[in-house]
Amino acid sequence: MYPAKFDYYRANSVDEAVALLQEHERAKLIAGGHSLLPSMKLRLAQPAALVDLNFIADLRGICRGDDGETTIGAMTTYAAVTDDAAIATTFGALHDAASNIGDIQVRNRGTIGGNLAHNDPGGDLPAVALALDATLHVAGRNGKRRVGAAEFLVGLFEVALAPDEVVTSVSFPAPVVGSGSAYAKFENPASGYAICGIAAYVEVSDGAIRAARVAVNGALDHAQRLAAVEAALSGVGCGDEAAIKAAASKAADGIDEWDFMSDIHADADYRAHLMRVLTAKAVRNACDRATG
Amino acid sequence: MSIRAVGSSRSRYGARDKVLGRTRYPGDIDMAGQAWMKVRFAGQPHARIRTLDVSKARAHPGVIAVLTAEDVPCNEYGLIYFDQPVLCGEVVRCEGDQVALVIAESEQAASEGRDLIEVDYEPLPIISSAEAAMRPDAFLLHPERGDSNILAHYKTRYGDAPIEEIFDDCDVIVEGVYRTGMQEHAYLQPEAGLGYIDESTGQIVVNVAGQWMHEDRIQIAHALGMPEAQIRVEYSAIGGAFGGREDMSIQIILALAAWKVGRPVKIIWSRHESIIGHHKRHAYTIRTKWGASWSGRLIAAWAECIQDAGAYAYTSSKVLGNSHLTVTGPYEWEAVHVDSYSVYTNNVPGGAFRGFGGPQGHFAAETQMNKLAERLEMDPVKLRLKNVLRDGSQLPTRATMPPGVSMGPVIEAAARAAKWTRQGNDWQRPATISDAATRGDHATATLRALPGHRRRGVGFAAAFKNVGFSFAAPEENWATIELHGGGEIERVVVKAVGADVGQGAHSVFRQMAAEAVGVPLERVELQAAHTDLVGSSGSASASRMTFMAGNALIGAARLASRRWEDEIRPATATFGYRPRVTTELNYETGESDPNISYGYVAEAVELEVDLDTGQIELLHVLCADDVGRAINPRLVEGQIEGGVVQAAGYALMENLVTEEGRIKTPYFSNYLIPTIYDIPRRTESLILEYPDPFGPFGARGMAEMPFIPLAPAIVAALHDATGIWFDQIPLTPDRLLEAFKRSSVRAFERKA
Ligand SMILES: Cc1cc2nc3c(=O)[nH]c(=O)nc-3n(C[C@H](O)[C@H](O)[C@H](O)COP(=O)(O)OP(=O)(O)OC[C@H]3O[C@@H](n4cnc5c(N)ncnc54)[C@H](O)[C@@H]3O)c2cc1C
Repeated sequence: MYPAKFDYYRANSVDEAVALLQEHERAKLIAGGHSLLPSMKLRLAQPAALVDLNFIADLRGICRGDDGETTIGAMTTYAAVTDDAAIATTFGALHDAASNIGDIQVRNRGTIGGNLAHNDPGGDLPAVALALDATLHVAGRNGKRRVGAAEFLVGLFEVALAPDEVVTSVSFPAPVVGSGSAYAKFENPASGYAICGIAAYVEVSDGAIRAARVAVNGALDHAQRLAAVEAALSGVGCGDEAAIKAAASKAADGIDEWDFMSDIHADADYRAHLMRVLTAKAVRNACDRATG
Repeated sequence: MSIRAVGSSRSRYGARDKVLGRTRYPGDIDMAGQAWMKVRFAGQPHARIRTLDVSKARAHPGVIAVLTAEDVPCNEYGLIYFDQPVLCGEVVRCEGDQVALVIAESEQAASEGRDLIEVDYEPLPIISSAEAAMRPDAFLLHPERGDSNILAHYKTRYGDAPIEEIFDDCDVIVEGVYRTGMQEHAYLQPEAGLGYIDESTGQIVVNVAGQWMHEDRIQIAHALGMPEAQIRVEYSAIGGAFGGREDMSIQIILALAAWKVGRPVKIIWSRHESIIGHHKRHAYTIRTKWGASWSGRLIAAWAECIQDAGAYAYTSSKVLGNSHLTVTGPYEWEAVHVDSYSVYTNNVPGGAFRGFGGPQGHFAAETQMNKLAERLEMDPVKLRLKNVLRDGSQLPTRATMPPGVSMGPVIEAAARAAKWTRQGNDWQRPATISDAATRGDHATATLRALPGHRRRGVGFAAAFKNVGFSFAAPEENWATIELHGGGEIERVVVKAVGADVGQGAHSVFRQMAAEAVGVPLERVELQAAHTDLVGSSGSASASRMTFMAGNALIGAARLASRRWEDEIRPATATFGYRPRVTTELNYETGESDPNISYGYVAEAVELEVDLDTGQIELLHVLCADDVGRAINPRLVEGQIEGGVVQAAGYALMENLVTEEGRIKTPYFSNYLIPTIYDIPRRTESLILEYPDPFGPFGARGMAEMPFIPLAPAIVAALHDATGIWFDQIPLTPDRLLEAFKRSSVRAFERKA
């Protein structure tokens, strides 16, 4: 199918992008285009104008601050994230997720910023952003602001972003010594989208989990932290398979029935089951990395 | 040059051009001055057309013509019954019904015109299941065809006493309700073609990818009310068919459009249009009950088979005949009582698909056999060998099996290759059939319990399938051979128009012709492009093409060689092969001499299942297929591997979902077919050659057979791994987990 007619503008800087968004009615940013273009072809989205972020060099790249915080430009592709050796060792969950998104073409085009800004229920990065406590950097008409991932990822395809705002980067705080993270997913074989994906981050000392952040995407209408699991993991020994499983068995507890995705690929019960299975797997892998 | 043509893996005819991208499929062909066509589909499963307003479409810039039911001279078609309108004028009965055609200067203008057509529909009750359609008060979908929605009902009544009395004497009874889903052919090349007028002959020409060009011509001529000679059908390269091109999709409308506008008209369907617009493998529900003795002798079988035919007949009644025949498996019986029903609904029509009823019948039969083996605590191979059809066996149709029955030897060969061990008449299932290398450290696990949440299992199933049309459908195949040269034969021109749908038919035609004439393959030139070359080859279906065309080629070669010896130059002969005539099923008793030949196949499967997620991984599939004589062994392997992969999709993941008559999975993003990640880790082909007494060079048909036993073999392996029987396919992960939850295999709590 063909998309409806639209105008195209190339932004050469973030300021210009913000200005273009303000100038044009029903304008939308285009990053990798791997979510936006398919929805335009299906006429689910019909923006009147596209503002292209691909020519803003500042938006690409990965840098590390003195405090150990890692900041990734919004236009950085999954492929670039996957190839970064430091990310692979420090942010295991991000590496796991980015390296398994879609296929090679998607990884070469799709961007960190686009993924989070789109907040697709089947996307892989929202849960990772929650588990790794990421912060999004946003620029708009009133200057710049920072917003935490939990606050940003509001709902199904919904984020805390004004129509004229641009996500410029995402930063991940330095993980504490003795921590580890991992991402586990059950994917739709055709697209790779998560039917259920779990990101887990654990801080371990003396062989036991002291703190954990666990989040899901895919199974629910939007990514969420799993508070019951996090609480139950506290104090659990890294090698204590039974205790990890017991904590993981709480993965779907307290979640409203209506929040579950349910479709021809997997119904809500099956997704709830996958949440428990994959939580155990992600936590196990995170523990291995924390101790290994 | 001394290499014999038959029996050698010569490279596929035309392979080089395909690899280089030079082969032209119908969608690749353009003609000067061509127009484009788009179809307006009904888009709804059942409605009466109140008004159809095409005025806006006609007025749209670029639109040349809009055609509706009124434009079709004889508005009906169908391979078995003429029960389908070319363009619907009064009622639409399925989503894919065609309502109007828009022909325009460009594809885009045609699309726009199509969307400007205004149809006012009065909704009619939607019959979305065969069971609902069989209720006495159900809305009649084809009142002109009788007072029920049942389009065919076959009975088999075989045995000396009423079936219930015979069951009373059985030691063991096994039962099941088996459900199989629809399947999409998913050929790489969606429907595409050109219609045009050949100014030199005045003929209307249709260039498409099909399976049976002479039947296409019959259907087109009938709908256009013209003599067949007025129509020519040409096939370009065909990008897969699997039965999905046997019925009409774009053939008639291309002819109609070219005739009406007097210009070349081109159409290319999108994947969405293809999935909505052509038939599917039929969904079945089969209830069945088998009785046997403690010694493992099959005694009585009862079955009720219900087939969802969808909105039109297509070849449903013929498919039904095949499942009717195979639902009792390749075994001998004392008594059989089967009722089979084909039923109209508002679903997408069912029709031909590799196996043609065999997969559904055998899914029930072979799972029954495996359940019976479990009940009798007898190895499934041993149980099969005790009951298997042999030369001289009688079918429940009271016909004697055609000679050359190899079911027993095929089962034995498959079992041995899959590492079954034999002592006397006892057979022992192996713990594993795959190589130690792929098993890692699990080779010792007799319980097939792996560490953690994974289990392994081994399963077995067998099948038989007719070669050639069944039940009195007329069989014929024509070929012409011309021998050119002086002292020696320098060039052989073969005219045989059987469709090469990708299976390699044209390669084996050449190989068989070279062998029959006795010349090197390189001297044989094949002409196969259109209907005016030579008579019909029949359909590229029913695993029949090598068998029938081979016999035609041998006949033509023999006649031409005789003329050559009489010094006639070029020596030309045409031969039409017609095998023994079969008979229809008797409507009351099921008596019939159904088929002239069969192919035989057996498969063993090893798989691993994840109890946590319900995902199945196929580790090893062994397929032993009796092909009589492998004309080209590599092409045979290609058919085995392709058949196994396609059947793995059918058994595990291909889930065509319909809701109230609408297909919910019209894209490959939601209708999942196997990719390289999903196929068996290893597929092992065991080519067996027990000659068919009537086959050319002993060859039997083979291309459908490898598909058929895979689903029941997988179900048996899954049972071996988990102790659970699954009576429904596809075996999607959520279905597996549902079953695990209900059993003791693994605790699975529901969410609060
Ligand atoms: C075949 C296929 C398979 C896929 N598989 C997966 C998968 O397995 N896992 C997965 O997570 N995703 C998958 N995707 C989606 C893919 O990752 C997308 O690339 C991603 O969701 C969006 O990123 P993008 O850069 O392509 O954004 P675009 O498509 O360009 O934009 C998406 C939305 O975000 C907005 N946006 C983009 N950038 C910004 C920004 N900097 N600031 C503000 N708003 C912005 C756009 O306006 C638009 O609304 C798949 C896509 C395809 C086509």
